[in-house]
Amino acid sequence: MIVPLSHVLAFAAAMFFMGLGCVLARRNLIMILIGVEVMINGAGLAFVGASAFWQQINGQVLVVLLMALTSAEVSISLAMVVYLQRRRGNLEADNYNEMHG
Amino acid sequence: MKPELLFLIPLLPLLGASVNGLFGLLLPRQVRGAIAVLAVAAAFGVCCLLWPLSQGGGTRTVLATWLASGGLQADFGILFDSLSASMALMVTGVSTLIHLYAVGYMHEEQDTARFFTLLNLFVFAMLTIVLADNLLLLFLGWEGVGFCSYGLIGFWYAKLENAGAGRKAFLVTRVGDVFLAVAVLWLFAALGQVGIPEVNGAAASLAPATLTAIVLLLLAGACGKSAQLPLMTWLPDAMAGPTPVSALIHAATMVTAGVYLLCRLFPLVSLSPTAMTVIAMTGAVTALYAGTCALAQREIKRVLAYSTMSQIGYMFIGVGVGTVSGAMFHLLTHAFFKALLFMGAGCVIHLCDGENDIYRMGGVRKRSPFIFWMFLAGGLCLAGMPFSGGFFSKDGILLAAFAQGPGWLRLVWFIGVATAFLTSLYTFRLLFLVFAGPARRKVHGHALPGLMRWTLPPLAILGLGAGLLNLPPLYGGHEALHHLLGPLAGELPAVDHQTEIALAVVAGGLFLLGGLAAWGRYRTFPGERPAWYKSFLLAGWQADLGVEWSILKPFRGMARFCYLGLDQSLIEGLLQGAAETCQKRGEALRRFTSGRVSTYLGGFAWGLVVLCLWFLISLVRH
Amino acid sequence: MATVLFYILASTALVATLLCVTRRNPVHAVVYLVNAFFALALLFYMLGAPLVAAWEVIIYAGAIMVLFLFIIMMLHLAPVEARPAPNWRRWGPVLLLSFVLVSSSVLLMSVDTAAHGGVGSFYASPRQFGYTLFKEYALAVEIVSFQLLFAAVGAYFVGREDWGEGRKGGRK
Repeated sequence: MIVPLSHVLAFAAAMFFMGLGCVLARRNLIMILIGVEVMINGAGLAFVGASAFWQQINGQVLVVLLMALTSAEVSISLAMVVYLQRRRGNLEADNYNEMHG
Repeated sequence: MKPELLFLIPLLPLLGASVNGLFGLLLPRQVRGAIAVLAVAAAFGVCCLLWPLSQGGGTRTVLATWLASGGLQADFGILFDSLSASMALMVTGVSTLIHLYAVGYMHEEQDTARFFTLLNLFVFAMLTIVLADNLLLLFLGWEGVGFCSYGLIGFWYAKLENAGAGRKAFLVTRVGDVFLAVAVLWLFAALGQVGIPEVNGAAASLAPATLTAIVLLLLAGACGKSAQLPLMTWLPDAMAGPTPVSALIHAATMVTAGVYLLCRLFPLVSLSPTAMTVIAMTGAVTALYAGTCALAQREIKRVLAYSTMSQIGYMFIGVGVGTVSGAMFHLLTHAFFKALLFMGAGCVIHLCDGENDIYRMGGVRKRSPFIFWMFLAGGLCLAGMPFSGGFFSKDGILLAAFAQGPGWLRLVWFIGVATAFLTSLYTFRLLFLVFAGPARRKVHGHALPGLMRWTLPPLAILGLGAGLLNLPPLYGGHEALHHLLGPLAGELPAVDHQTEIALAVVAGGLFLLGGLAAWGRYRTFPGERPAWYKSFLLAGWQADLGVEWSILKPFRGMARFCYLGLDQSLIEGLLQGAAETCQKRGEALRRFTSGRVSTYLGGFAWGLVVLCLWFLISLVRH
Repeated sequence: MATVLFYILASTALVATLLCVTRRNPVHAVVYLVNAFFALALLFYMLGAPLVAAWEVIIYAGAIMVLFLFIIMMLHLAPVEARPAPNWRRWGPVLLLSFVLVSSSVLLMSVDTAAHGGVGSFYASPRQFGYTLFKEYALAVEIVSFQLLFAAVGAYFVGREDWGEGRKGGRK
């Protein structure tokens, strides 16, 4: 492999945590979803790196399936974003706290 | 002449108290007073009848067993020897006269049922003290007189200062009672006995230090009831009660209970020379203190109250120097003339329309010469006019003090002599300010009820003639009381006749000197001239202030500390702090359920961190 | 050379992601994310996954991100640009990143493809990939296709115009 696996994993972890930070710190629903995308991509990178390390193709297959799943998920979440925008008029995650207490 | 009849002496007043207490409101007014008087008079009669029982070694009877448990054996018993018999005779006799006076005094009062109940109950408790054959029963009576005095001083409780005076008397004497209780318990622990003859007999077996300690405790108890230093602050304020109460309780009976206690336990007390000296010094210092205070008082009854304190100081001196007969002699004469003086003061106040302040009286002699002569008789006895009862008794004590030789007791004698001068001075001051000169205040004449007048002469005769009770051989007497008391009287060193005559002359001289000084200054009213020393003496050397600062303020401070500092801050703080902590932690935890997605995701993230740390640590370990 | 290129691309992706998550404007965030995905695609290629790299660009950057942009613009979530004239503070980073990406891809393409670009000993050819996918993971493919169907139906259902109107008064 061109770089040690640990480097690839470190890079993947960095992307994942950046995505996690985006999810936790941002209040806008769109940005939260973008954070989720970043996290998924980080995981995907780890899979590809592992597949390259162990010279097996299964990791990449998993990444492809992941992408498909992600598209499904994104479509539904964005449909829900549309619905919420119509109901509430804003997309602040803090306002959706009816489950508080 | 059955000994069991002795129990009628205390029980007859108790019966009178019960009848008045239970049915008094249903009975007509006259009947209430009559029951009270008859009860005490009957007790007096029984005492006279049974007098022979007290001769010889005395009689001891038991009515019933009170406590018998383990080593403790305390009965309802009476010890009727010459000491208790003479005291009981005085108590019942003077009480009868005072009860009669009280019927006249209270003729306008509504609440006579309560009054006569308490009065009779008081006589019962006092007789219990006098006749008890064991210390526990004596203590019972001791507490009883304390309670009755509280009830009687605060009789007109609707005025708050009267209730306060009653409470003050009760609390201050209570302090003394605690010491007495400790002494009784200690005696029981050390000797296994509470019976008075047994304690007196076994007293020699105690260690000297124990003995001194116990006697000092007894002295403290006696100081409480007899209003000696330092437990004397209650007596001047106790004059808030009706005059018959002052006459009975604060002249003749309750305040002498302390002296009686020491005389009763004299075989025990006399074994400790240190304690005896302390007793004598206490009496002397109190006598001097009270004498100086009496010089500056403005209320007629307060002068008499301080005078009582002073004279009881003399009795304590008598006990302290070893002469029980001298102390008892002075106790008897004092009872007569002080009761007379108080009753006369009540008459004077009645004549002056309720006026208490001697600066505003004057000229009472013209209004009622009879009262003047009665009061004069009592005053001369108090001041120690030669050949009156007061002269012999006071002189007897001073002689005994002088005869003990140089040392502390000589100082006691000197203080006693100085106080005698002061006594004469304030007595004549009182006489001049009240009776002499023109009336300083316009009053409407009020006739004195007959009962208030005619109960005075018997006391006057007794007071003036009481010298015959214990006339020293110098004047041709036989010292009847001394011989009566027999072995209880106390041993005395012999004094030669020269010294005796010299001292008598000194006493007479002081009497005249005091009278002349008072005549010079007070025969015409000098007007009110306030001065710092007068207000200092008026307030009793600021004793109340002293008590307030030394005891009451620290007590209140401690109570406030216990309340605010311990109870509120500590205990409630702990409990409330625990509750609040729980609540705050709950609130803090509540923030986790904010309903916001970011909070829950944050939970995920933290969980992830914990897992990573776990793996990291397990990785490092292996 | 491959190693150096890897690190360059990795840092590009990281910088782009960082810039993405810190933007206030969602459209800018999406653009930076596309940049990152592009870099990731190149990385995938260098790690011997050309098909995955292609799909990354096509599906992720090309479909999903475009969908994001559609929704953002449909719901008017981003403020309208007031200044048409560009300034370097706003265009600088993305241009730089794009330049890096373009030059890296050019570099990669210029490497000899016959030896699979010398980008590593492992290389998953599309034939191998398809073989594994449809032979070993056939069930997974079917399930994922079902899921896509559900997603489509659900997205249509949730995003209806007359969904929830007239129930509790509509907008809050």
